[in-house]
Amino acid sequence: MLTYVARRVLVSIPTVFGVATVIFLMVRLLPGDPARVIAGVLATPEDVDRIRHQFGLDQPLYVQYVTYLFHLLTGDLGTSTRTGQPVTQEIVSRLPYTMELAVVSTVIAVVVGVTAGVIAATRRGSALDLAISALAVFGLSMPVYWLGLMLIILLAIDIHAFPAAGAQNPLGFVLPSITLALFSLALVARQSRSAMLEVLNQDFVRTARAKGAPLRTVLVKHALRNALLPVVTVIGLQFGALIGGAVLTETVFSWPGVGRLLVDSIFSRDYPVVQGVVLMLAVAFILVNLLVDLLYAYVDPRIRYS
Amino acid sequence: MAIRKFAFLVVLGLMAAACGNGSGNPTSSGPKHGGTLTVAIGIDPDTLDPAAQTTTTASQVVDMMVERLYTLDSNGATQPQLASAMPTTSSDGLTYTIPLRTGVKFSDGTPFNAAAAKAGLDRLLNPATFKTQPGVLSVIDTVTATDDKTLTVKLKSPFAPFVAALTQTNAAILSPASLTVNGNTPAQVKVPVGTGPYVMKDRVNGDHIAMTANKDYWGSQKPNYDTQVIKIVPDDPSREALIRSGGADVIVSPPLSDLPSLSSDSSLKVLKAKSDRTLQIIINTVDTNQPLLQKPEVRQALNYAVNKDEIVKNVMFGNATTLDAPMSKTLFGYCSVGTYAFDPSKAKQMLQAAGASGMTVKLGSPTGRYPQDIKVAQAVASYLHDVGVTVQGPETSDWPTYLGHVNVPPAQAAFDMHFLGWAPAYLDASQQFEQFRPDRIPPKGLETSYYANPTVTDLVTKAAAEVDQQKRKDEYCQASKQVWNDAPWIFLYNQSFPIVYSAKVTSVGAFPNEKFDTRFASPA
Repeated sequence: MLTYVARRVLVSIPTVFGVATVIFLMVRLLPGDPARVIAGVLATPEDVDRIRHQFGLDQPLYVQYVTYLFHLLTGDLGTSTRTGQPVTQEIVSRLPYTMELAVVSTVIAVVVGVTAGVIAATRRGSALDLAISALAVFGLSMPVYWLGLMLIILLAIDIHAFPAAGAQNPLGFVLPSITLALFSLALVARQSRSAMLEVLNQDFVRTARAKGAPLRTVLVKHALRNALLPVVTVIGLQFGALIGGAVLTETVFSWPGVGRLLVDSIFSRDYPVVQGVVLMLAVAFILVNLLVDLLYAYVDPRIRYS
Repeated sequence: MAIRKFAFLVVLGLMAAACGNGSGNPTSSGPKHGGTLTVAIGIDPDTLDPAAQTTTTASQVVDMMVERLYTLDSNGATQPQLASAMPTTSSDGLTYTIPLRTGVKFSDGTPFNAAAAKAGLDRLLNPATFKTQPGVLSVIDTVTATDDKTLTVKLKSPFAPFVAALTQTNAAILSPASLTVNGNTPAQVKVPVGTGPYVMKDRVNGDHIAMTANKDYWGSQKPNYDTQVIKIVPDDPSREALIRSGGADVIVSPPLSDLPSLSSDSSLKVLKAKSDRTLQIIINTVDTNQPLLQKPEVRQALNYAVNKDEIVKNVMFGNATTLDAPMSKTLFGYCSVGTYAFDPSKAKQMLQAAGASGMTVKLGSPTGRYPQDIKVAQAVASYLHDVGVTVQGPETSDWPTYLGHVNVPPAQAAFDMHFLGWAPAYLDASQQFEQFRPDRIPPKGLETSYYANPTVTDLVTKAAAEVDQQKRKDEYCQASKQVWNDAPWIFLYNQSFPIVYSAKVTSVGAFPNEKFDTRFASPA
């Protein structure tokens, strides 16, 4: 098991290196001169040149690349050209907000999604199944932006139940979490339903029922346990996406997370922060995938890593 | 379940209490005070270091804490702030002697004096200061503290708008003692400490900046709210939602299309503040791709072809004024020089006479940089189409990409015409004429019409060094007339800067360069 984890971590090093290189080149391929964007339209040529020099952007590309890789090896992601703060500090100050939304909405998506999926599968073809399927399609196809604004209008403006924006209010996380959860929730519900349907048709479920095991036990202990594998995969991928994919939600709800940091940085051509956030996301995806793989062994004891 | 319901009610109650900001303790006379004022702005200030300021919104947050030698009044005129009077100028226009206020202290207790003022300006000019932007103030040669209350500034060359340029936030004076504490270094300031009515309390990046009242503020007007929280809400509809739900007391730049309904809400007030930003379609006057645009009469015809009043009314929802000069009315040096009244048949005739009927032009516009930007560009394209011009576009992109496309020398020009706004950093015509000077053609500046007229260049050069203010005004007026006739732009409009605030707040103001002013706001 440990050997397996160590091997997976080692194998991911070239991946991280590749991401670091690709993102380094990609931000520089974006049109727009960072020194001019940061200096503003009114800046004099001298001001722009001074800023370009302070950021080291007047150096040849290979020098910038080597410096960047060298710093990366020592764990230094550089200094934000927008704020002048270390990139690590920028990310660390934003990450808890994003994790809060990602964790809460994943919990909502898993609990509600799996429950809905199981119910829909056991009542296949019923009105309830139809309703759940319809809601899942709604959840998958509603633009986050629109949904967020609707929730704000209904629950913040009309009945003042939750704050419309910001992270300082203790209830501030509720609306963005719901908004963020809906897509994953719909996905999890659909995945659970189809996985359950497949399992419910198998012989061991019939056997369990024939032995006289109560329906509840059969559903939860026999069927669901076996249907979980594809569901866990979807949840893992979704969690990874939530860490980086909360850009719109964070904008609508003025949530100071990593997604907005990334957007602000792209719009101000803040190369070090864009590089840092993308690298962090890559590492997060790798870790989540590893965790999912390890979870497989727990969910399905037939799978062993040695 | 009952417990949960109870908890929910308690939370609701707490929220109601939190929303009911600024209950206000009436005094026998004068404004009420106390409580918290929450202001929602659209951008997260990159830095609060005065020397590195580039946007008016972030600058205004800094202005609440740090003050300059000179400031603007609400009409845009230059007034002393930490200076005690306007300066005296030597006859050669090179030496400015600035008298300073006495008895003023920075919020950390350090006394304000000529040495502090000198340190402030020197820091701006020091190339080691992170992202410092002296801009036109690099005209300063030396700064000397003659005595405790007199500052003498020597310039490298005569620069008539010097005092106006000192009103910019980057010329703000920080407490010298603050440069080595709270994580500040002389090269980079994170917590600005000045003489202003508010003092920095805390900041959560991307979320808010909180400030508390400076109890010992020197000015005759005093800060009335105990605390002001500047909330960062990037999305226009979200800012509107915030003030409608009571989560903010003041918001800047709501969605323009919702201003009528915000105005009719009796719990809210709308202030359509003046702005110095002009919006225009900039024409490539040396275009080799569409050489017809090199002819002034063709460019004039395009001006006649566009119904600016309708664009202001229907696309900008009335939040703008049609231009009658190549600059906004708020600038020193403005004079009304004329109009290009909407006349499509005249435009058609002029185009035909110039052999430009049915010509093709490529139009560019940013999306999300200015209110309604791409929609205005689309409207212009449709008016041009009506007089037989084939418009390719508007091609659009986000601001940094767009800026990269237009900020190029003539040989690399990507568009025949492009939409751009221009907002002087201080309210002097010299800043607007940065747009009509051939020595500002990229990469040296952002004069992207590539317009060059020796008459205009001469007048502008003369005006920059002119000590006689009336003569300066006349020179800019003459130059404006010439620019208007040469039509390097399709002159569109001067936008306004809407601010919405709760009826529970009073004394919310603005400066005519897109700065909101809540320094002396108070509970109504």
